[in-house]
Parts: sequence; structure tokens; C-alpha cells
Amino acid sequence: MPFGLFKKKTGSAGGDASSVQHDGPKTVGQIFEETVASLKKREAITYEGKSYSFREVDEQASRVANGLKTLGINAGDRVAMMLPNIPEFVFSFYGIQKLGAIAVPFNTLYKGREIIHILNDSGARAIITLTNSANLFNEIREDCPALEHVIVTGQRTLVFLDPNGTVNVQAVVAQDAFEGPDDAFRKFGEVYVETLKELGVAEAWYKHQGAVRVGGKKIANIVIQEIENLYVLNSVCFLDNLQMDDYFKVIYVTPELKDKVVEPMTSVREVTGALPTLEQFRDVFAASLRAKLGIEIEPGQLKRDEKFGYEKNRALAYKQ
Amino acid sequence: MANWRLFFNPSGDAADIVSYGAALAEGRIVGKYQLSGGSLSDTLVIQGVKQKSIVAGADVKVDKEKSTKENIDVAYASRQGRRGAKPVGSINLSELMSKASATFEAVDRDLDDPAVLIYTSGTTGKPKGVMLSHRNFYSQCADVSTSVFPLGVSDTVVLVLPLYHVYGLSNGLLLGIFNGTRLALVPQYSPQALYDAIESTDATALIAVPAMYTQLVTLAKRKKAQMPKSLRICVSGGAPLPHRVLEDFEKEFNTRIAEGYGLTETTSAVCLNEFGENFKLGSIGPPAPGVEMTVFDDQNNPVPTGQEGEIVIKGDVVTKGYWKLPEETASTIIDGWLHTGDLGYVDEDGFFFITDRKKDLIIRGGYNISPREVEEVVYTHPKVSEAAVIGVPDKRGEEAVKTFVVLRDGETATEREIVEFCEAHLSSYKVPKYVEFIEQLPKSPTGKVLRKELRGESGESDRMITEN
Repeated sequence: MPFGLFKKKTGSAGGDASSVQHDGPKTVGQIFEETVASLKKREAITYEGKSYSFREVDEQASRVANGLKTLGINAGDRVAMMLPNIPEFVFSFYGIQKLGAIAVPFNTLYKGREIIHILNDSGARAIITLTNSANLFNEIREDCPALEHVIVTGQRTLVFLDPNGTVNVQAVVAQDAFEGPDDAFRKFGEVYVETLKELGVAEAWYKHQGAVRVGGKKIANIVIQEIENLYVLNSVCFLDNLQMDDYFKVIYVTPELKDKVVEPMTSVREVTGALPTLEQFRDVFAASLRAKLGIEIEPGQLKRDEKFGYEKNRALAYKQ
Repeated sequence: MANWRLFFNPSGDAADIVSYGAALAEGRIVGKYQLSGGSLSDTLVIQGVKQKSIVAGADVKVDKEKSTKENIDVAYASRQGRRGAKPVGSINLSELMSKASATFEAVDRDLDDPAVLIYTSGTTGKPKGVMLSHRNFYSQCADVSTSVFPLGVSDTVVLVLPLYHVYGLSNGLLLGIFNGTRLALVPQYSPQALYDAIESTDATALIAVPAMYTQLVTLAKRKKAQMPKSLRICVSGGAPLPHRVLEDFEKEFNTRIAEGYGLTETTSAVCLNEFGENFKLGSIGPPAPGVEMTVFDDQNNPVPTGQEGEIVIKGDVVTKGYWKLPEETASTIIDGWLHTGDLGYVDEDGFFFITDRKKDLIIRGGYNISPREVEEVVYTHPKVSEAAVIGVPDKRGEEAVKTFVVLRDGETATEREIVEFCEAHLSSYKVPKYVEFIEQLPKSPTGKVLRKELRGESGESDRMITEN
């Protein structure tokens, strides 16, 4: 009796329910290819005003499959995915399926311990994730011996800034001044810890890539990127505690997830009772840079090429 | 001693934060090719902002109207192109793809090989990797979903559910691709983003969780505007959908919602309470084609119609087991029957009803109490928006019913009010002894209430995987 209730294609309120016909069980990758062969240029994905046909999705997926292959990933290997619903999720998922590898998708909100368990249990050799999660994977990499490749895409950076509460420190430096990325992270971490100590935060500590902390709470965040022969440091230090609610008025995060998105934070003012000015921070940071790395800083101006780049990037930053 | 340049910009704006670093890096790279790189030295930039600001990645959704109203300056960090800066120690996906060929024929695999591992937590222990095979997905698409969620090539389905979860992956992405349906990707859920996606893409199909339907109804009522009427079919799953929400949503959006039931271990749906004349209130529906379902007692024997027991499932959608956990697999899949851990019964028409999870059962004075049954009553209170019920020890150490209540916006109520309301509708032993008002129920990403957190059993540090 129950089975009798189900009829094929019983759409309720009109609409064309005709669909691609498949002639029997196949792999996930082969089913995808059958749909592509049938619909070719028809629109498969719409995302933020952009459009991809089935054939284009197939080409992107094939590129992922071939790319993974060049990294030594083979059929049966596990490839983890920590991505939101962006086209790259679809390209990556079907790329993995075409290759005959096993996709291990997981929650984009997971934190260190949860991720380490999944990566180690599955034995994933590669992870495809958002660019701003890369630091997280660098931090836990030594705990995940099977993980060989961290592949990044998309951009979900989120930095909250306040006139009195935050200071940004950036550096663009030649790579050859450091022995490698770990050395760059370690040295900038030392400069930060020294700066905070001079400002009265005696308990500041820094272990590895990521955050400078006081106890378990974050007081500064460090990200280092590489481009050609340069390291680009981006960091933010909390001088005063931020009123987060104001920011969440303009960015929607479901209430039950909000507290999981924001890490416990502290600030110079919370620890010492005093709020340093940006000038004080600058002078202390400069002194720490001199003491720890032997670097002298001098006020400078943007050169012609830099000015052009600055204006272009400003325009792009407000364009979206 | 080396010298670095310093730019000190104490009252800049959000765009400065994005632009200085990018401009300096680009200047150095351009300089290198123009052989003038030597003139640009290492540089430090120390900046503050003159107003509250957000630097957001290109894939972050920001409400522009509200940011203007709240006087928050928002600048976007661009998506990295294939030659852009990338975090140290990583590979850029676009760079990897740009060097690779655009043709690749899918490798043939045994249909029972795993295609996907999805990690899910049971009642105890660390998350287990559920092996979902090519055959599992084929059966889910060809037999189960297509029957009651008939997507076609002219449909547009909104994919707002996370694709890393079995529900969004199986009933959204894979079913859509299987049928050749246009996929509207929504990277970050908000009620407004979902509404906009439905409207801008003329979406005809939606799969979502109860919280999303609830919030869309609220949004629709607040807007008092004409709602898009393009949706022809909707599916709700992940948690029970309050009947009041179902009716409101169907009315506002002129559509129908079917309620689904499934597990990660069954590649998502195994049955759907179909819209229309076959709909039965409170049921999860009959099993879908290709799925066998029945109810077992503790000795793995079928129980008579109408009697409660554990729901068990057999069919091509059922996993071969947990990754590298043969013992867990053997204790969950016995003689081909997957033991769901869900308590329920089947009625004379073959419709299944979930009464509760085995572990969530409350026992008081020798009587079994289903938290769900109590919740359904609390839900019908006009001031109540959401409710969840757990068992807690009372002063005598016996298990008592406690309900957590989220009131509708602007409403106030007393504990006594809620208790008296329940007394009118429930046997005395089922009436909550304790009532606690809270702002929000803790929920998994798919909207399932986390009773463990309500019981205070799991702190943040112990949180593993919360959804099933």
C-alpha cells in the first residue's frame, strides 16, 4: 500500500517536470557526465548574477580532476572539502568524483579539534578550503601527518575595526630576509609579544601561526600571505574590546551560531586598564622591531606605481 | 641594520586597510619587471580607522542599507586571482586549474565503493565517517527523491542548505544534477538572502529546514508585500516542521511543502509526507520506493501495527557502514537493517510516526514520556515561538519534564501560564515541572534542536559534530 502512493513525476502546481534520463546505476561522476552530454550549454548554476552552463561546470570539474592528479591524488584517495555553497564547491566535488577519489565535505564552522579528527580518521591527502581558513590548516598541519596539500579558493575574510579599539599592522617585505614562512611568522609573533609586554600585557604569548593570546583569549591576529618573492603580513591588534553587536547588525549570522563565530577576545585596555594611543603603539612597535629584528623604520611616501595601485585598489574595495 | 619605510595612517578608512598592502605588493612586483624594484624597500604600515569599519571578503554578504544606517564603513577584499597573493604553504585552486586540461573522462569505479564520507555523531564518541557509495546516491536520486520531489530541466532549485551536509548534498546538488535542474547557489543564509534568491532566480523548488520556513513566513508578514509565487514544490527536513508554519508558508508563497525524513546513513531521505490528499499531520510519511521500513522491538523482532519501537530501514540508500569502524557498523546494521535509534510506530495505512530518539526519552514514575509530544503542545500556545523539552532530575532524583520556551517577539508570559496550558492538554505526568524562558534554542546548522546543550552535557570545547 505505501508504495502505491508514489508516482513518478507528480509535480503539483504546473511546471515542466521532464528531466534527464539515465539508463541505470553509474558512478556519481558518470551520472554528471550524462547530464552534461544531454544539456550542454543549458544553464546549470546561477550564483551572484554569474552563470555557468553544464558544459562549463564540466570543464571546471575536469580541471580540478586533472589538477589533483598532478598533485599525486588518485582514485580511492580522500580529498576533504571545507567550503560554503560557492561554484568552487560544485567544481571541486565533481572533479573529485570524476577522478574516482572520495570527497569528505564537512562543516565550515568546525574548529581545530573537530577538523583534526576528521582529517586523520579519513586520511585525507588534500583539503580544498576558503583562503581565509588556510592559516587554520597551517596551525594544525603537524597534527595531521597524512595531509599533504592545502588548496585554497574564495574569499570570506571578516575583520572588524574600531576607531579606538583596533590597530592594523601590515608589512610587505622580501622573502629572502626570512628563512621561510615559519620564520616570518615566528619573528613577527615575537615583535608582537614584545610590543604588548611594553604596553603592560605581561602575559602575552605566541606559539605558532595564528593568534597572539593572553591566556586562551586572542589579543592580536596574524596572517601572512605570499606573492612572488614577497611576504605580505596582515595583522590586527585589539587595543580595546569591540562592541560586536553593531557589526552583526550588518552581517547576518544566525543567533545560535554567533557565539561560535566569534572567538573569545581580550584587549590591552581590558588587561592593563589603560588605552594606548595609536602613536604610542607605533613607537613601541618600532622599538620592538629594532630590538627583535634589528630593523630601523623611517617615515616614507608612496612612489608613483604604488600611488596608482593604491587608488585602483581603493576603487575596487568600494565597488562591490 | 636594515631600514624599512613606515606609513602611519591613524585615521584612515576601511578601503585604506585593503589598499595599502595590495598597492605596496603590486608596486614591488611591477617594479621588479621594470628593473626599478630596488627603489622600493620593505615597508611597514600602521593604521587606525576613523569610524567603525568592516573589511569583508568578496564572498561575505553585507547588508549595505544597514551599514549606511549604522554608519559602518565596509570595504571588500577581492577574490584572489590565479596570480594573486595566497596564504603561505597553500596552493591556489584557480592556479592549479588554469594549468590543467579541461577534459577528463570520469574514472570507472565499483558502484559499492564510497564516493563520499560524511562525518556524523551518534549518541556517544567521536564522529564517524559514513561511507556513501555511488549506488547509494543513484538510488537516492532515481528511486527516492525523484518520486516526491520531481525536479526537471525547467526547474530552478535554491541551494541554501549547506552542501557539506547530506541533506543539501544529496537532495540538493546531486538530485539537481541528476535531473538537469538549474541550481541557484546561496553561499550564506539570511532570511533576506533566501528571499532575494527565490525572487531573482524565479526559483521553482526549495529544500530547506524548518527554521528557514519559519523566518521566511515572518519576513513575508513583515513586508506585507506580494510574495514571489514561483515556487511549485518545497521540501522540509532536518527537524519537525510545526504545522502552523507549514500552513502559513503554503498560503504566503502559494506552494506546497512536503516533509522529509532521513539520516546521513540513508543518504538523506527515506520517506516523505507528501503534500496534497496523502498528507498526514505529524507523520513522516510512508517509505519511498526502494526503501523498506519497519519497527523492531529490543530483540529485533517486528512489532504490531501502532506499537512503538525502533524504526529500522533497508534498501540501496543504506550505507555499507562506518569508515574503518567494523564493530560500530555491525551493531548499527544487523541483517541488512539499519537501526536508526529513532522511536516510532507505523499506522494501518503504512504511515510512519516518530515519537522520539531513544536517548531523549524521559521516564517518570515508570511511564515513558516523549519530549516531542510535550513540545507539540507547548508550541500551540499562542505566545510561544519555539519550545524544546528535556528530562531533568527533580528534588527526589526522579526524572521530570522541563521545557525551554522561546516567546514570540514582544510577548511576555509566566511559567504558571505555560504549565496551566499544558495541564489542559496533557496527562498530569507529562506536564512540565520546570519552565525556562530563553532567547534562542541551540540548534545544529540544519535546525535540529541540540538537546544535549540544553541538558548542559556538552560545552563548546567538546562540541564535535552536531547534526545527524
